[in-house]
Amino acid sequence: MNTLHPGDAKLTDWRASAARFEAEVAKAVVGQARVIRLVTTAIFARGHVMLEGDVGVGKTTLLRAVARALGGAYERVEGTVDMMPTDLIYHTYLAEDGRPRVEPGPVLRRAEDLAVFFFNEINRARPQVHALLLRIMAERSVTAFAREYRFPNLQVFADRNRVEREETFELPAAARDRFLMEIGMEAPRDPEARRALVFDPRFHDTDRLIAEVAEGVLDQARLGAIAASIQMAIQAAPEIETYVVGLWDALVRPAEAGIRIPGIDMTTLVQGGASPRGLAFLVRAARVRAWLEGRDWLVPEDVRAVFPEVMAHRIFLEPVHELRRSEIVPDLCRAVFETVPAP
Amino acid sequence: MIAACCALLLQAGAAVAQVRSVEVRVPRAFGYFLGDLVRAQADIAVDPGFSLQRASLPAPGPLTYWLDLRGITVEESPGRVRLHLTYQTFYAALDARQVAIPGFSVSLESAAAGGTTSAKAEIPGWSLGVSPLREVQPERHDDPAEYLRPDGRVSRLDPLPDMRAALVALGAALLALAALGYDRGWFARPGRPFAKAARGLRRLGREGEGGYREALRLIHRGLDETDGRRVLADDLPAFLDRHPTFRREGPALARFFEASRRAFFGREVEAARASLPWPEVEAGLRRLAAAELEA
Repeated sequence: MNTLHPGDAKLTDWRASAARFEAEVAKAVVGQARVIRLVTTAIFARGHVMLEGDVGVGKTTLLRAVARALGGAYERVEGTVDMMPTDLIYHTYLAEDGRPRVEPGPVLRRAEDLAVFFFNEINRARPQVHALLLRIMAERSVTAFAREYRFPNLQVFADRNRVEREETFELPAAARDRFLMEIGMEAPRDPEARRALVFDPRFHDTDRLIAEVAEGVLDQARLGAIAASIQMAIQAAPEIETYVVGLWDALVRPAEAGIRIPGIDMTTLVQGGASPRGLAFLVRAARVRAWLEGRDWLVPEDVRAVFPEVMAHRIFLEPVHELRRSEIVPDLCRAVFETVPAP
Repeated sequence: MIAACCALLLQAGAAVAQVRSVEVRVPRAFGYFLGDLVRAQADIAVDPGFSLQRASLPAPGPLTYWLDLRGITVEESPGRVRLHLTYQTFYAALDARQVAIPGFSVSLESAAAGGTTSAKAEIPGWSLGVSPLREVQPERHDDPAEYLRPDGRVSRLDPLPDMRAALVALGAALLALAALGYDRGWFARPGRPFAKAARGLRRLGREGEGGYREALRLIHRGLDETDGRRVLADDLPAFLDRHPTFRREGPALARFFEASRRAFFGREVEAARASLPWPEVEAGLRRLAAAELEA
């Protein structure tokens, strides 16, 4: 722990910035400390985030606050059923002279500078749009106007509400796997925060609320470099490696690990998922969490803190159980942590 | 007591006044066989203030080739000294005859203001009637073994009641031992995971880095088993809430988790060992096992 890495001081400075970032976002979103911490983790892990929750719990507010505090170029689109991939890339209109024009659309408009792409209500968009998003997320590039555009600093935030199922399109597994985290957001439980949210007029005007958040707390352009040095600096002991592999095994083959969930046949419950990429994301996020906690080595708690958000959406259940997914998967994750020994 | 042989000795001079009489009594003076114990009692009547000089008593041991003095005890009361003498005769008599038991003398003393006065008492010899065990010329037998008397017949003892009692006692002892072991947590059983861990630790000995980590691992397993789930360092407050019996071990457990983190995940076993040395691991686990008994 006491060995000095080059850039240690830089990491410490950035940790202070991360704390400021969290504090700024918390001004706009009360009672969501855990969600804010997870979003911060995702930002420093350079991963895309999907927010999920009921209508009106503050998903959009949170993402707007994050985008503002993060700084950098920011684009936002609303998912609709008639949206087509070209709508994201091209902006077509009739110019004043009456001739059709094709200009760069939301994705291309800020081109290389694009830092935050915020896709609201993503499940309202069609699979064609999801496919385009898949490419943007995975490769951070897109082909348009007969050339390739690159977005080295791009981070995609998406949200969807889980109430409505009409005229929505479930994201394909491949697209979901590209998200580092799927964060479930609920209204705060804390009575103080609930009262404030309902009665404090400050929270009623979202635009003014967002304006309170300081702009550009983090240096967007250097995030990529700092994220890489975090991954280099945080050590993982062989015990952690064993632990994570143990978690993986238990998740994929719960029956063999001795996990029982009442009323469910454990041998066929998990059909697949929990990809190696998912596990790599898990360790990536855990490293960021360790760094945020001021350690330069991983502990099991780091893994546990990000596990449900990083892993839950990558587990594919037997179709019979898919409908009860929101009950089964958290139980499964909890059971995995109650079963796998650490150290 | 059958008073039999007696001798009265009156002595002249100053001593006469001090030792008034000496009398030897034996239960009977005849009918003794080879190996019999002969008990005699010598009463010495003395003036008040006189007591026996123990050193002047004859030492137990062989007196003649056929007679041993086996023991001598003294009983003193004011005005009287009584000697209990036990002889054993080995005289192989061929016919009934009298043998002489030799006499001896003992010293008595009186510590008066003017100095010590001593006197001598003569225990007179006396005679004992001994008899043969068998005739001189026994009946002829062809087999020399027949000259030996057959062994006396005894009725067989019934060992059953004793054996039954022994079995019952053994069962009771085993039950008591099992109850003690249960209470002290000697056996592996659910509900006493720390006792199990403590046993594991004793087996472990104390060698090397691996041993230290193994010891920490044992405590981890104890905690896990107590809680029915895996307990990580951050879970300690919740663990203490669920198991209030361990609350007073809270600070010790916090130090344990700190050391464990360093040893396993920080790869600093030496630093961990410095912060939580082996004796503390042992003592801590003992306290946990004790706290567990109270649960």
